[in-house]
Amino acid sequence: MKTIKDKVAKLSFVALLMALTSAMFYTPTASAHGEKSQAAFMRMRTIHWFDLDWSKDEVAVNDTMTISGKFHVFAGWPETVDKPEVSFLNIGIPGPVFIRAGSWIGGQLVPRSVSLELGDTYEFKVLLKARRPGDWHVHTMMNVEGGGPIIGPGKWVTITGSMSEFVNPLTTLTGQTIDLEDYALDNVYFWHALWYSIGLAWLIFWIKRPMFIPRHIAVTSGKADTLISATDKKVAIGFAVGTLALLMYGMGSTNEKYPITTPLQAGLMRGIKPIEMPETSVAVKVEDATYRVPGRAMQMTLTITNNGDSAIRLGEFNTASVRFLDADVLEDESGYPDDLLAEEGLTVSDNSPIAPGESRTVEVTASDAAWEVYRLADLIYDPDSRFAGLLFFFDEDGNRQMVMVDAPLIPSFI
Amino acid sequence: MSASQSAVRSRAEAVQVSRTLDWMILFTLFTAVLGGYHIHYMLTGGDWDFWSDWKDRRLWVTVAPIVSITFPAAVQAMLWYRYRLPFGAIVCILALMLGEWINRYLNFWGWTYFPVNFCFPSNLIPGAILLDVVLMLSSSFVLTAVIGGMAWGLVFYPGNWPIIAPLHVPVEYNGMMFTLADLQGYHYVRTGTPEYIRMVEKGTLRTFGKDVAPVSAFFSAFVSIIIYFLWHYFGRWFNKTDFISGEGI
Ligand SMILES: [Cu+2]
Repeated sequence: MKTIKDKVAKLSFVALLMALTSAMFYTPTASAHGEKSQAAFMRMRTIHWFDLDWSKDEVAVNDTMTISGKFHVFAGWPETVDKPEVSFLNIGIPGPVFIRAGSWIGGQLVPRSVSLELGDTYEFKVLLKARRPGDWHVHTMMNVEGGGPIIGPGKWVTITGSMSEFVNPLTTLTGQTIDLEDYALDNVYFWHALWYSIGLAWLIFWIKRPMFIPRHIAVTSGKADTLISATDKKVAIGFAVGTLALLMYGMGSTNEKYPITTPLQAGLMRGIKPIEMPETSVAVKVEDATYRVPGRAMQMTLTITNNGDSAIRLGEFNTASVRFLDADVLEDESGYPDDLLAEEGLTVSDNSPIAPGESRTVEVTASDAAWEVYRLADLIYDPDSRFAGLLFFFDEDGNRQMVMVDAPLIPSFI
Repeated sequence: MSASQSAVRSRAEAVQVSRTLDWMILFTLFTAVLGGYHIHYMLTGGDWDFWSDWKDRRLWVTVAPIVSITFPAAVQAMLWYRYRLPFGAIVCILALMLGEWINRYLNFWGWTYFPVNFCFPSNLIPGAILLDVVLMLSSSFVLTAVIGGMAWGLVFYPGNWPIIAPLHVPVEYNGMMFTLADLQGYHYVRTGTPEYIRMVEKGTLRTFGKDVAPVSAFFSAFVSIIIYFLWHYFGRWFNKTDFISGEGI
């Protein structure tokens, strides 16, 4: 007997462990720091984020901040990633530390998935309302169906205050004002507690009597019919009828209380307006490009032709959200995240203004630890070793022109 | 101690030991089912059960009963045919829902801070009671599959509507119409669950117009019947007694 008891006790313990494990098994994604582990080509050749602005570094609970900027959907979208025909403008934060109070692409509210066109540039804005205090890394993010999340740059934002003060008031179309943070929560608890107690009552009704061994003996000795009494049957019918009655009552009272309800809203949004980009008057040809592994630098030979009427200089090379600037031409005043900004990371062999009509071949070097830190150097191990990025040129009046480059990349190991 | 010697010395002691075993077996059954069923339900019903903005009139209503009738059918096969105990379905559902509530409260709310009114589990109790009662009164697994399985699918939506209805009240927000549940999904950011993953209100039952929930429920009920049969046999197979030959041991 003792061995059986021991065995059952052991088994119970295993089962308890299993139960606890399963209860702990799933937690919705709490972290958003996948940016470095994402394949380099995914970051370089899909969505290019630029002109980003995080409106605040510190925000109190219930206050709002925005992340705004633009993104360019790369025309040479990699074959291995599904095209952004179904995309969702997300935000990379560790769970709902902010609520997403609004998000717009080209001025259109985008609570649902949208269709984006390759080669187009879009303006976006995400409005966030602070909910949970802490220091959070806030990323821009685009989810592409069949492609996964494409994570943009992240910046640290501090939320101050207390989460218990957070409110999320809304006025419904039926005229009630509610706080979505705990709206109808009592109702959830009430119905669950009520039904759970009824279920428990049914279970207790049966487990009060001797269960396994005596009943098993009765069943195997052909006396199964004696195990269910007439009273048992009456009680069972009572439970069934009670269940149906409660269901009907629940439906009735709910429909009376909430006469107006609508189905969940879903569906792809099309026709999102891109920015009308001005015709670019700068032509860039990539003669060759190499990545020097030991020097953590990318070198390109570019032939730049100025077809405009004002002299231009190259100020910035932006790839995978890392910005390489030529400090002589451009200084960042937007408070762009430090780790992604190489303020003097761009060297041009001859960066004197290129006059209208002039064509010049220059050596451009983009070097920074970010190549290594952000694992962009890994792109030399990609199946299709190419790079892509945005070049920003500035004319005498400070006007900016954006030129996309996309070319094969040859690694150099010495 | 020889094998033929009894472990108990009196009838009173036998009754006591039997009762102790009852509790141990019940506890083991409860926790084992909790673990297995919970994982099964998370993998198959998953997001439909996690989030209020997935609890729609078509797919949730269809999927949840079909994937949840599994364990109740199997456990009923054991408890009824071996012990004439008609609580196979309810013990599964009570275990599942306890596990779900622990998970939702501790992980979804306590750890990740999703409001509980956004990530509460579905209510499966009414169907479980009916399933147990039908089996007990009919003592036939065929009838239980057909009538009980049917009821299982049909009562799912009514059993949950009082809980989700307040969240289906419409609201105008930045010039678009949402239900409050949609807005929960939009506001409370799920980095890992982009909107297009959400499978709601999709399907080919459009011809039935507005009343899609009953149609989905009927469809779900029919499939539940089939799944009940399947899992009933799993249950039988799982708790069959095999004797092996004594020779050579
Ligand atoms: Cu981050």
